[in-house]
Amino acid sequence: MSMAMAGILIAIPASIFVLLALTWKMLPRGGDFLVVLGFLAVWLLGLGIAADFTKYFHEGVFAPNGANAFAFDWINIGDGLFHIQFSTWVDSITVVMIVVVTTVALMVAIYSTGYMRGEERYGWYFAALSLFVTAMLTLVLSGNLLQLYFAWEGVGLASFLLIGFYWERQSAAEAAKKAFITTRVGDVGLLIGIVLLWREAGTFDIQQIIEFAEHGGFNSTYLTVSMLFLFLGAVGKSAQFPLHVWLPDAMEGPTPVSALIHAATMVVAGVYLVARMMPVFDVVPAAREVVLYTGLITAVMAATMGLVSNDIKRVLAFSTVSQLGFMFVALGMGAVGVAMFHLLTHAFFKALLFLGSGSVIHATHEQTVEHLGGLRKKLPITTWTFCIGSLALAGVIPFAGFWSKDEILHTAMHDAPFAYVVLAATAILTAIYTTRVVLLTFWGEPKDHHAYEHAHESGWTMAGPLVFLSILAVFSGFVVFHSVGAALGFPGGILETVYTEEPELFHFDPVFAATAVGMSLAGIGIGFAYWWGDAQRAVRARAWAPELHALLVNRYYIDDLYQGIIDRVVLGLGGIVAAFERHVVNESGVDGGSQLIGWFGMRLKFLQTGRIPNYALAMAVGVVVLAVMAFRSA
Amino acid sequence: MPLPAQLDRTIVTGTIMASAIGLPYIVVLSVLGLMGRISGAEVVWWLLAGLILVGAIGSVTSNNVVHAALSLVVAAMGVAGMFLLLASEFLALVQVLVYGGGVAILLLFALMMTNASDDPIVVDGSQKPFGFGVALIMGIVMVSATVGASWDATITTVVSFRDIGTRLYRDYGVPFEVASLVLLVALVGAIAIARRDTEESDAA
Amino acid sequence: MISLNHYLALSGVLFALGFYGVLVRRSAILILIAVELMLAAVSINFVAFASYLDAKLFTGVIFAIFVITIAAAEVGLALGIVLRIYRERSTANVDEASTLKW
Repeated sequence: MSMAMAGILIAIPASIFVLLALTWKMLPRGGDFLVVLGFLAVWLLGLGIAADFTKYFHEGVFAPNGANAFAFDWINIGDGLFHIQFSTWVDSITVVMIVVVTTVALMVAIYSTGYMRGEERYGWYFAALSLFVTAMLTLVLSGNLLQLYFAWEGVGLASFLLIGFYWERQSAAEAAKKAFITTRVGDVGLLIGIVLLWREAGTFDIQQIIEFAEHGGFNSTYLTVSMLFLFLGAVGKSAQFPLHVWLPDAMEGPTPVSALIHAATMVVAGVYLVARMMPVFDVVPAAREVVLYTGLITAVMAATMGLVSNDIKRVLAFSTVSQLGFMFVALGMGAVGVAMFHLLTHAFFKALLFLGSGSVIHATHEQTVEHLGGLRKKLPITTWTFCIGSLALAGVIPFAGFWSKDEILHTAMHDAPFAYVVLAATAILTAIYTTRVVLLTFWGEPKDHHAYEHAHESGWTMAGPLVFLSILAVFSGFVVFHSVGAALGFPGGILETVYTEEPELFHFDPVFAATAVGMSLAGIGIGFAYWWGDAQRAVRARAWAPELHALLVNRYYIDDLYQGIIDRVVLGLGGIVAAFERHVVNESGVDGGSQLIGWFGMRLKFLQTGRIPNYALAMAVGVVVLAVMAFRSA
Repeated sequence: MPLPAQLDRTIVTGTIMASAIGLPYIVVLSVLGLMGRISGAEVVWWLLAGLILVGAIGSVTSNNVVHAALSLVVAAMGVAGMFLLLASEFLALVQVLVYGGGVAILLLFALMMTNASDDPIVVDGSQKPFGFGVALIMGIVMVSATVGASWDATITTVVSFRDIGTRLYRDYGVPFEVASLVLLVALVGAIAIARRDTEESDAA
Repeated sequence: MISLNHYLALSGVLFALGFYGVLVRRSAILILIAVELMLAAVSINFVAFASYLDAKLFTGVIFAIFVITIAAAEVGLALGIVLRIYRERSTANVDEASTLKW
């Protein structure tokens, strides 16, 4: 599978989507087997591309061995005046993303055949899933910014369709709208940023823009501003503060969707974008600082909000936002490889956690943690895979999450010590809330006996992906080692494949690692202390600081703030415009015009007196006027 | 025999106006004529013009319809005189016959049948000032149109009956026949319109 | 000498008087009288032009003959209509024939 054939990765899910969208009602089982097979093919081809990539690796280049492998003319206006190609670019960042996207997509597709069985519009779900995968692959394979934007919007659309899959439920429709509008705000920024870059660089092609920037073609302030706009798009899509409000609500969608889109793939599009444009960010460190602080604030905020949430999926959503914050902190320090590494491991264990929670929900039809408990006896596979995912999330050695998080902390220690402190605290918080969820769900006494009685382990379609992902959650962290990477055919570990200026050989620092693991275990311990058994300590803690609890439960009232702004500002403006339209355009202009004519008519009608002498006088006046005119001209 | 009051008024007004205006008018004309300032024909012309105007003014301003109709006859006679001065005797005769004998009688009959003398005609309508102004302007325009131009011409021949007949029957034969048709149509139409629908009332 | 201008001025004045009568008078018959005046004025005009300028062919005279004819026919017909209206409404006042008003 050569890199030049990367276009096939897009073509397969695209054709499946078109086929399914038109015919899912007619196909047996809604065509889900097509999707599973398609994703399997894409997965294998993706691995093939990765294999091909290893053959042509060159060092000393940012994200080395990119190849503008596949291109055809997309827009050509004015014979070269405005010429965009539909091009793909494969380099080490792309390879990581391909592996992540295709693997998780395949797992989710297989899982969905079990989870979504018996749902209405079953086939449409799979159609939307393929649409998403098409758009996501286009996004990661894009060679130019316009195509990337096109795919960016495509993933937004697929997300909207899938969040609002149960659109009969008001809350789901609202959540889909909220997601789309919030990301739209970010997308506007992205578009502005793209246009600004294009204005100066004259091209949309990413590599050309990078070269242009590195050679100082941009004015520094101008470039900072453009990159900040670009980053705004990433903030929207990756649910960073202040545009994080949509992701917790997006959990209204089916759980496999949350796993695929809102944990592993779409939300990391922002991370991907920043990583891809990192050389340009390096030219304007101020923009990079903004990335760093945004990620930092988000990480901490989301972790605190996840601490008090009662819905399993919502806790995981906050956790995702927090971990994305970690990735942005890494990017803010310029460490692309570290960020991509965390992206990889996070994708696997977060998808695992989501699918596990889906298994719980499917078994008990309950999402609220306070109604669950003691499920480990009834759902053994789910329990143990969930625990593996949680340990990975908490960052316990030797699970995958530990390696990537440790790298981030390590980089922060050296480059931004302040960030290190905050991240460490966040890591402890992460461990705490993860433990909380696990204990409340799987241990302890069942609080809702009806749900407990009903619970049964899921079939192999759901359990299989759980097991596969848990294996990845255990072992995927090891790709950081040189030996592992070399064995897979890469020149070294992941940090030696994805880098900005030079490959970094991974060194294991035992002391540092011990500190990190210690913090995670401390967090787990605190979690046990508070929530083990009947969780008395937690109840007392809540009563001790009710305002703080309320603040966190209401998500720092940011949602209310936004709603207030919309109600007052946006709808207020809308009211003014509507009033203008009603009064000026409609009543005065349209109605007024006709009424004016009627008004004149009412007054002019009195000319028709019906009396002959009046008419005779009128004619006489006319004749006299003509006579005078004739006389004067003669 | 006691005279009706109306006649009384008319006679008094008429006499006053005739003496106040008419007498000096005639006197001046005679003097001028006798003095030789204006020719005899011109004296006649001015007299006839005065007659026409008196008749015209009377017919458009009189409150009594019968007086108006009779004033029209006076004006028509004046016009006939004008035609004589213009050396077309045939036309003068036709004018007297048709207007004096036909139109005037028709009008008087119509006045009688619509009981016009019984019905007091309301004072002329609100259009009076406008009508006056418009007519005044029209008159001024027409008169000033002629004042400027000058034709050095005189009446040379008297139009003889024979000539008129020749022209009428030979060159204008078709219009002549058409005119007779018009008369026929008017006749029939007037009868059709003004006829009482006796058959209807009988049948009903 | 009586020049052409005399006759033309006279006919103009007569025409204006008739014009005034048409506009001002209320009874249909009085309006017809005024119309007759106008037609007479026009005849004078034609005959004057014919006599002064067109001695050989005197077309104006023939015209005046027809004018008189048609005037008579018109008056006859119009009076028939007035009689009919009078019979229906028992008035010859044109002001009252105003059903075709706003």
